[in-house]
Amino acid sequence: MIDLMQMIISGIAVGSSYALMGLGMVLIYKSSAVPNFVQGEMALLPVFIAYMIIDTYGYPVHVAFAGALAFAVLLGCFLEFAIVRRAKEPNVIGLIIITIGMEMALLGLVSWKFGADQRTMPFPISSYDSVMVGGLYISTLDLLTLTVALVLMTGLFLFFRFTKFGVAMKATQQNEAVARLMGIRTRRVKMMTWGISAMVGTVAGLLIAPTIIEPYMMWDPLLKGFAGAVVGGMTSLPGAVFGAYIVGIIEHLFGGYVSIEFKSVVAFAVIVIVLCVKPSGLFARHYVKKV
Amino acid sequence: MKKTLLAALIGMTVMFGFNAAGYCEVGVTDTEIHIGQWGPQTGPAAAWGAVARGTDAYFKWINANGGIHGRKLVHHFFDDAYNPAKTKAGVKQLQEQTGIFAWVSGVGTAPGLAVKEYLLERKIPWVGPSSGSRHWVDPPEKTIFNVYPLYLGDAQILTEYAITKLGKKKIAIVYQNDDYGRQGLEGAEFVMKEKGMALVASVPAAVTDTDMKPHVMKLKQSEADAVLLFVTPGGVARLIGTGKAMQFEPQWLSTTTCGDFPLMMAITKGLYKGVISASFGMGQPTGNIGELQSSDAPALDLLATYKEEVYDKYASKDERWGYTFSTGIGLSEPLVEALKRCGRDLTREKLVQELEGLKDFKGLMGRITYAPFDPEDPMCRIGQNEIYLQECMDGGQSKILTDWQETEYIPSGE
Repeated sequence: MIDLMQMIISGIAVGSSYALMGLGMVLIYKSSAVPNFVQGEMALLPVFIAYMIIDTYGYPVHVAFAGALAFAVLLGCFLEFAIVRRAKEPNVIGLIIITIGMEMALLGLVSWKFGADQRTMPFPISSYDSVMVGGLYISTLDLLTLTVALVLMTGLFLFFRFTKFGVAMKATQQNEAVARLMGIRTRRVKMMTWGISAMVGTVAGLLIAPTIIEPYMMWDPLLKGFAGAVVGGMTSLPGAVFGAYIVGIIEHLFGGYVSIEFKSVVAFAVIVIVLCVKPSGLFARHYVKKV
Repeated sequence: MKKTLLAALIGMTVMFGFNAAGYCEVGVTDTEIHIGQWGPQTGPAAAWGAVARGTDAYFKWINANGGIHGRKLVHHFFDDAYNPAKTKAGVKQLQEQTGIFAWVSGVGTAPGLAVKEYLLERKIPWVGPSSGSRHWVDPPEKTIFNVYPLYLGDAQILTEYAITKLGKKKIAIVYQNDDYGRQGLEGAEFVMKEKGMALVASVPAAVTDTDMKPHVMKLKQSEADAVLLFVTPGGVARLIGTGKAMQFEPQWLSTTTCGDFPLMMAITKGLYKGVISASFGMGQPTGNIGELQSSDAPALDLLATYKEEVYDKYASKDERWGYTFSTGIGLSEPLVEALKRCGRDLTREKLVQELEGLKDFKGLMGRITYAPFDPEDPMCRIGQNEIYLQECMDGGQSKILTDWQETEYIPSGE
């Protein structure tokens, strides 16, 4: 029983970073209708910038992290403004290819500038300390990630519900043409969505970085975050979060009771099952166009 | 008459021109020897890219010192991103467009396997594949010369040490589910069987696994008191770190691929202290058991020379001096030695013959010995089959635990 509880807790712990990546992807999917494969690298570059600020310029961690988050917003806005927006009559396939192209370019830039050596980010909390409660353990870094994920989700919920800009974003996501007719500057809104999405992803990246930084560090969280978002529903923010936690828990239960060898692919099997049974995801409303 | 003279002149020039070159061996001219190598400079295995850069600096140093019998080594290395398809394309392109005399090192089992047949069909010598896979000697091939000690041997020596010297009773292994990890598992099981014991847990891990909690849980359930780690340096860091967080701290033992202690200490934030790893050289174990050694202040004179002469002068300023970079030198030494022994009259056949003549050749690594080709005897191409053990200490220093230990070759299927 204690093993089962431990697996569930560990699944929730790892699901938090998937959830943050999934949130970032859903934000962009809702505004631009594109599965954003550059999400991981939009976080990777700011994480390396934070590392550079600490390692090369000797600034404290909180300054570096604030700098990285600000850079992430600018990077997201820049990618939307300079590249995605320029696509002529874009269809989904074209946009996916654009995001993959940007992913490769940013990954190449990071590999070239910072090299491939593995390193760790200085961080106030040790990634290897833990809290034990009744024989169950959770690492302090996982606990922090979980807290940050929940706070960020609540923040996004309040932002979309109560701020003017948040409502404008929702309006743009629901019907761009009408939103524009209502006087919303939809292109600017979309650009900011990319900026916010990059920032959310960067939060995940900064919380992964205390363990190991390397150019490929965001690949696994991106794929699992994507899996979580598909499971929960690509158009639902809470769905992406719950989906990510489901993926984390299933992974751990599968690794514990069935096969540890195939643990990392189980997320994709879950995607297939969900797409067959409920294609819009477990938590998203299924929109049907009425003619 | 003029035309006849001109034709004769052209004919003579062509004839003497060929004679001046004097060689019809691919990749060898009067002044150059073309050597090829692949190595990931980008992609998931890019940290091992320093192997090729180490070789490159080593060749530059040789050239600066007059080359080999008046010929410069022209090093062609390309980035295959650890992608076998790219390795194959790159090797083919260089071989067929530039003309390579011999290949050296080349990181990775999968990339190496992708070009093994191609190189064999053309009888092109390949010295020192940069991975300890049994594929390079089983079956032995006339033109493939292994240098890197086999992972099977790492597992044997580590398991033996854990049982006999450390008195451990419950041995477990975490192995990468590929050739590297599976051969580690095989080597460990071989020793356990000999001792009438069995591994208490053998836990597979994927290269992409970043979450090691399930793996550590399995180890914890098995109550292992010593755990062999046959995964990447990043995987090792995650396993040891997760172990600490889960209050599971057995004696960790790792392989030659995780023997770069300064790097391992940095990525584990000091948790690597006390971990025992296999090493294939870069130290001076004989007569120094119990001593602390460091790659920054090498105990081995040859390593000190390479640091000063090769690394300081020819490595780029961002390059880190360490195990991976010097491995690039160590894996190329037998090739360079054989080229020297060949003299001016250089052919592939002669190179193979001179490599076969290497007996107890001692460079940066352990002793390297080959023998005339015998299709039934993998030992004729194994090169190095001795390693020693070291323990990671403060500041990434190595405490020498054993002298060179010879490993037993385990044929496949046993």
